[in-house]
Amino acid sequence: MSGAGVSCPGCGSSNIVDDDLYSQAQMVCVDCGSVVSEGVLAHDPNGGSDVSYSWTTAVTRKPCVNLVKGLQRVKAICRILRVNKEIEDLSQTYYKQAYQHQTFIKVSLQKKEVLAGCCVLVSCRLLNWPITMATMSCLLDADPMVVGVVYQEMVKVLRIEAPIVNVTDVVEAHSQEYKISLLHVPEQLAENSKDLAKRAVALVELAADTWIVTGRKPIPIMMAAIYLAWQSLKPSKQRLKFTLDRFCQIAKVNKHRTALKRITEMKEVLCKLGREIPWVREEVTPDNVVRQVDDILKNRYALLRRALRTHEDALQAEDSVTEEVASSQASEPVEHTPNASAVELYGLNSERTQQPGDGNESPCTAPELQNDSQESQESAPNWGKRMLFAPPCVTHPKRRRAGLPGLQDVNGDEEISDSEIDSYIRTPREAREFALTQKILSLSESEKS
Amino acid sequence: MDSSNDDALDIIITNVVATFRTRCHLNLRTIALEGTNVIYKPEVGKVLMKLRKPKITASIWSSGKIICTGATSEDEAKLGARRLARVLQKLGFKVRFSAFKVVNVLAVCSMPFAIRLIDFTKKNRPIASYEPELHPAVTYRIKHLKATIQVFSTGSITVTGPNVQNVATAVEQVYPLLFECQKPRN
Repeated sequence: MSGAGVSCPGCGSSNIVDDDLYSQAQMVCVDCGSVVSEGVLAHDPNGGSDVSYSWTTAVTRKPCVNLVKGLQRVKAICRILRVNKEIEDLSQTYYKQAYQHQTFIKVSLQKKEVLAGCCVLVSCRLLNWPITMATMSCLLDADPMVVGVVYQEMVKVLRIEAPIVNVTDVVEAHSQEYKISLLHVPEQLAENSKDLAKRAVALVELAADTWIVTGRKPIPIMMAAIYLAWQSLKPSKQRLKFTLDRFCQIAKVNKHRTALKRITEMKEVLCKLGREIPWVREEVTPDNVVRQVDDILKNRYALLRRALRTHEDALQAEDSVTEEVASSQASEPVEHTPNASAVELYGLNSERTQQPGDGNESPCTAPELQNDSQESQESAPNWGKRMLFAPPCVTHPKRRRAGLPGLQDVNGDEEISDSEIDSYIRTPREAREFALTQKILSLSESEKS
Repeated sequence: MDSSNDDALDIIITNVVATFRTRCHLNLRTIALEGTNVIYKPEVGKVLMKLRKPKITASIWSSGKIICTGATSEDEAKLGARRLARVLQKLGFKVRFSAFKVVNVLAVCSMPFAIRLIDFTKKNRPIASYEPELHPAVTYRIKHLKATIQVFSTGSITVTGPNVQNVATAVEQVYPLLFECQKPRN
């Protein structure tokens, strides 16, 4: 109807009629034909539609495929290691948690597999099932360093406090790998795995008491212990001739190069203890110490005590002799001077004290100063030399080059002479020659290739 | 700066890393051709220049950012940086020494006793972490000082931190914890 009181925005006329288009109500201007207003096209049910747009277009939420695969991999690893059900469940829980954390959600699939292994590793540690990281990296066929990095990140993210693996616990499990029972090798070389493990554990405990285990990787130590245990259980000529290489070949195990070093270190320790055995007449050397290993291990605590006591006595004797030399007056004779050199020094001292006056002071104080400085030099960096058992890195320290003298007390205001700066800059002629030689060199190289 | 015990602990600073900017673009080819004691690495895009006194190695980028390593004290690092800027100035670049900052300090210290690492880790979880298969030392991180301390069983420790004061404070903080877990050297 016209006269609706609305004017057309196009032409301004007030001649506007109701002209419905299909089911849509519209108000149209008669003169120019523009639509002034229109109604709703479709009617939604009361109170809005029943189904919201996002709900109709949503896809059913499926669990992430890689997460499912990862959990299956965790299960597979647990089955390979034959751990109990608790460890399996715990590792699956940890994997789910870690996978969905932001540090691991966008990581490569290879790393996710390593993560699966690390979850198993952590659950084994928490539930007292000893397993080394090296074993896990072998299982995953991954670089041990990568495994280490992922493990440390995972432990930080999940805030787990896992106990440290004790080497002695792992030895038994590790020795199962060595195929040296009667089924695999001839009788002279065969060994019961229980005996082998027991002796290897004893050797590892001895190594732990004497600084060989702290801070070192466990697998070479275990390999060395098992090798020495195997040799000593039946020290026949044939077995003693076997090198570590051949031993690993018949036991079907991959050899570690550092195991050779551990064998040397262990043999040294065994020699030190072997010397204390009262009924052994011959000289104990690393070559023939293997025969004594049985006795040494049976009485190792007693032998350790004896060895330490003999060492202390020897040190005390040395100390008292050096005190003698240091004092400028004739002092009481030392209680016992086992070394010939000690007797010599004592003789020299008595000679010196008989010399007159001032000449006496300087030679006597000089050795005192020397001794003091020597002792402080020795005791500060190398306490290992004075001890019977010390970490190998202290007994054989790497030599460091002496620092450049005269570079102390540098302040920022020192004079920088021009000649010194010029020594860092080539003259233009030198620069040209240098550029020329570079060109010639690169040309000759390209000609050759 | 040393520990508050009767015998002072010697903290030896072995490396100080510092950066500064020259506020101008540097032509690496010119530096490589006309400078002595330089190594040009075009694949990475930097030039290494070694100064003899103080003994410092500087990595020079074409943007004008320079990193100096190898100094044994903060002052020495600053001196070396200034010297380097002077060399570059003489090579013809309009160098202005600015934004000098010591970024990292590495120090070593030796305790007069050996340390039981497993004990120490157990007492200081989770700040301390020990994985003998990965690294022979215990890593102890002090968050508020931003310092990392590596504790070895022989009693030596290495400390890294953003400046010398932090390093000294870190050693002071960790000393009583180490003292608790000492292994008598016998």
